[in-house]
Amino acid sequence: MNSEFRTFALGIIGVPLCLIGLLAMIYGDRTGATLAFIADRTPMLLTGSPDFSSLQGGFIANIGMSLAAMAIAGALGIILGIGLIAEFWPTRLLSGFVMNVLRNSPWLVVLYAMLYLLPFEMKIFGVWITISPVVKSIAGLSLPVAANIAEIFRGGIEAIPTGQWESARSLGYRRLQILRYIVLPQALPLMIPNLMTIYAMLFIGTSLVVVTGASDVLFVGRTIIETAGSSTASAIYIYILFLFFLFAFPIAILTRWLERRIGTVSP
Amino acid sequence: MTLSGSRPLIEMRDVRKSFGTYEVLKGISLSVNDGSVVCIIGPSGSGKSTVLRCINGLIPINSGTIRVGDFAVETLKSDKALIPLRHQVSMVFQQYNLFPHRTVMQNLTMAPIQVLGEDPRKVRDRAAALLAKVRLTGKENAYPGELSGGQQQRVAIARALAMEPRVILFDEVTAALDPEMVSEVLGVVRDLARDGMTCVLVTHEMRFAEEVADEVFFTDRGVIVEHGPPATLFKSPSDPRLKDFLDKVL
Ligand SMILES: Nc1ncnc2c1ncn2[C@@H]1O[C@H](COP(=O)(O)OP(=O)(O)OP(=O)(O)O)[C@@H](O)[C@H]1O
Ligand SMILES: [Mg+2]
Repeated sequence: MNSEFRTFALGIIGVPLCLIGLLAMIYGDRTGATLAFIADRTPMLLTGSPDFSSLQGGFIANIGMSLAAMAIAGALGIILGIGLIAEFWPTRLLSGFVMNVLRNSPWLVVLYAMLYLLPFEMKIFGVWITISPVVKSIAGLSLPVAANIAEIFRGGIEAIPTGQWESARSLGYRRLQILRYIVLPQALPLMIPNLMTIYAMLFIGTSLVVVTGASDVLFVGRTIIETAGSSTASAIYIYILFLFFLFAFPIAILTRWLERRIGTVSP
Repeated sequence: MTLSGSRPLIEMRDVRKSFGTYEVLKGISLSVNDGSVVCIIGPSGSGKSTVLRCINGLIPINSGTIRVGDFAVETLKSDKALIPLRHQVSMVFQQYNLFPHRTVMQNLTMAPIQVLGEDPRKVRDRAAALLAKVRLTGKENAYPGELSGGQQQRVAIARALAMEPRVILFDEVTAALDPEMVSEVLGVVRDLARDGMTCVLVTHEMRFAEEVADEVFFTDRGVIVEHGPPATLFKSPSDPRLKDFLDKVL
């Protein structure tokens, strides 16, 4: 963990120092007051409520949406990934088409599409269900991520030698059983670093959901700026940058460490 | 069923197989009696591995018939339909193909438990006995990556035996081994042959074929050029291609 630890220490100390330096350059002798202002608004930015009384918005919402989207994308991605390696070629073709369309769509475009394609309400099993901006955001984020996960899945499975399939078949295993008992257990460790990278991208991508009207950290930040005046804008945005960094940076370091470990310790 | 004692265990009749436009098997006919040891020899690319893969349904054939016991292999289309056949026909590969994420013991027990649905305790007892038979007692909890090539191949043979098959197909099982490990693997195969296990061996070990085989088939370019008991085939070959081949390898 040596080289990763050094990078982590440098980043986790260096980046906040740089951001404080930036604040000082912008705000001059009002830097202290600005820091106090940020500290005061922190509960609001983190949870969407001024006193941590509810967890319905803000940065927590970004984390929640990213986790929900990752879970959905994981399930969809595995199904799509199985489609990509199906024996039946029309399934392969269709899955490849869907995967390529979704993977090459800008996330913001998919989010807008969800915003206008999904109705405000929907009748499911005779019950009217409201589709909130948060639900639309999760749907919009999970689609391109699912396509990426499908590709990671396919790559991981194809990295396992065909002799494993052949010997498993000769022992009577069927295709899905081979995936489950023999190929996936070997392929998953290879896939984890890539999955973590795509999660970090997804997490950073949650900042885009502001266009759907979901009250994520950017939405809350904009509300604060509107009431407190535009002079606070730089401080708020720098602070939001810092929050994203704090969450995504350790993931990136952990990913790199895992990559190195999996690369050197062969099974 | 009353006939199965007298008729061969495996019968291939005029089997043809093409990959794309390239015909690999051009009408192969052979039969293997229950309890006998058959060796297939021939130059590289002549279709020996393909013959074995057809017998246990790993690859579909274009025409002809393959019967193993009471199964008409060419009529079994899905992996599910092939399960009973694969219960009877095991295969050992040149590259061992053990499951690296599982211990030796698990490699032996997983298919009987997961595919055949057998009682785990019984399977484990059987697996322990098989490991003793291939002289690997004590390696139950090792992972394949921790074993030598010869040891891995003996695990692969034990794994094939754990399915309690009627016949085992061996595809050049010593070809990837260092010379000093060849004899330990051949020793295990020899024991099986003596115990009356039906074996079909693709091999380049001519001396071993001569010693254990009841019948030897010589393939060249997708056809069986000559076959017969090893004494005749090796000592007085009649086909010029076989003479040529034996001159090169002996
Ligand atoms: N899946 C496949 N697709 C296309 N061609 C194949 C495939 N499998 C085998 N072949 C071809 O069929 C021919 C016979 O192959 P096979 O593996 O049966 O030969 P072999 O006698 O076992 O040779 P070797 O001694 O080198 O193992 C070769 O020319 C090979 O390239
Ligand atoms: Mg071969």
